[in-house]
Amino acid sequence: MVIHLYQIIVIAISVVMIYGGTKNFIRGKSGQTLTKLMIRVFVWGGMSVIALFPEITNLLANLVGLQGNINAVILTGFLLIFLMIFKLLSAIERLEQNISELTRKESLEEIKKK
Amino acid sequence: MDFINFMDSQKQKIFIVIPAFNESVVIKDVIAEVNSAGYENIIVVDDGSSDNTFQKASEIQKIIALRHKINRGKGAATKTGIEAAKLLGAEIIVTMDGDGQHDPGDISKLVEPILEGKCDVVLGTRLKDPAGMPWYKIAQNKFGNLVTWYLFGLYVTDSQSGFRAYSRHAAEVVNTRGDRYEYDSEVLREIYIYKLKFKEVPIKVRYTEYSMGKLQKQGLVNGIKTFYRMVWKIIN
Repeated sequence: MVIHLYQIIVIAISVVMIYGGTKNFIRGKSGQTLTKLMIRVFVWGGMSVIALFPEITNLLANLVGLQGNINAVILTGFLLIFLMIFKLLSAIERLEQNISELTRKESLEEIKKK
Repeated sequence: MDFINFMDSQKQKIFIVIPAFNESVVIKDVIAEVNSAGYENIIVVDDGSSDNTFQKASEIQKIIALRHKINRGKGAATKTGIEAAKLLGAEIIVTMDGDGQHDPGDISKLVEPILEGKCDVVLGTRLKDPAGMPWYKIAQNKFGNLVTWYLFGLYVTDSQSGFRAYSRHAAEVVNTRGDRYEYDSEVLREIYIYKLKFKEVPIKVRYTEYSMGKLQKQGLVNGIKTFYRMVWKIIN
């Protein structure tokens, strides 16, 4: 098996990312849940597997019915990212409205006191 | 009783809401002008200014000065002012800008149709008599009018004007989510959805070096951001 430079880079970054997440989880840092760690392992581990065995993407392409394995990867990735961005923007919007509501309630207290 | 006497007798029910952001230079003059026009129920909402707008407004007795501790946008400040006016028993609420661009002499033109029971909302429009309005602002406004019509179903000649009057009923039913400049367009959506009776009235606008130099005005970049927020609120 011939190892290419891009495979080394992807695996190196994946190892660093999984190591970092695992370390934070073991140390019990706030915000680091098991679910987050599993997602990290899945995403970065998945990228390593695809980098080492690119032919696996053919299975994915056949599964979803797409022509060309790289198209399947790119399209799936794009869809996931789009969904994440949409969710994030919705969450930010809700937060902004909550902040405005709280700011308004606080300022109206002056009138209610009088 | 002639109309002028009738107006004078109704002024106790009319509240003027002035959202303000970093307007310490002119806010006292704006309030004084509104007072001179015969209106005493004035609510100034300081939207998290970094200057002493709130302090200057508070120095004037008999006006209500409220403060947002953090900047939330013109729409949010206007909404706070309207809520305050409702709490204080307002029957008619007039919103106007805090930078001195609006002439308080036009307030009577805005409230007259509501006092006569002819409509729920009166929209001040700069474009029926745009004398003195820079050409690029006219173009921006016309574009904004088309976008508002397309997105919210109502065509008016000045969708971005903040000089408006609302009846108590309109103030109760209008429910917006926009905090910034998209607020003015969202109000038009509410007028359309709730089938509120409205009228457009020409107003004077005073474009001074001070008001034109303000960074937070609705220029091209802010216009693009407003457009994005209007579209986002529809799809979200």
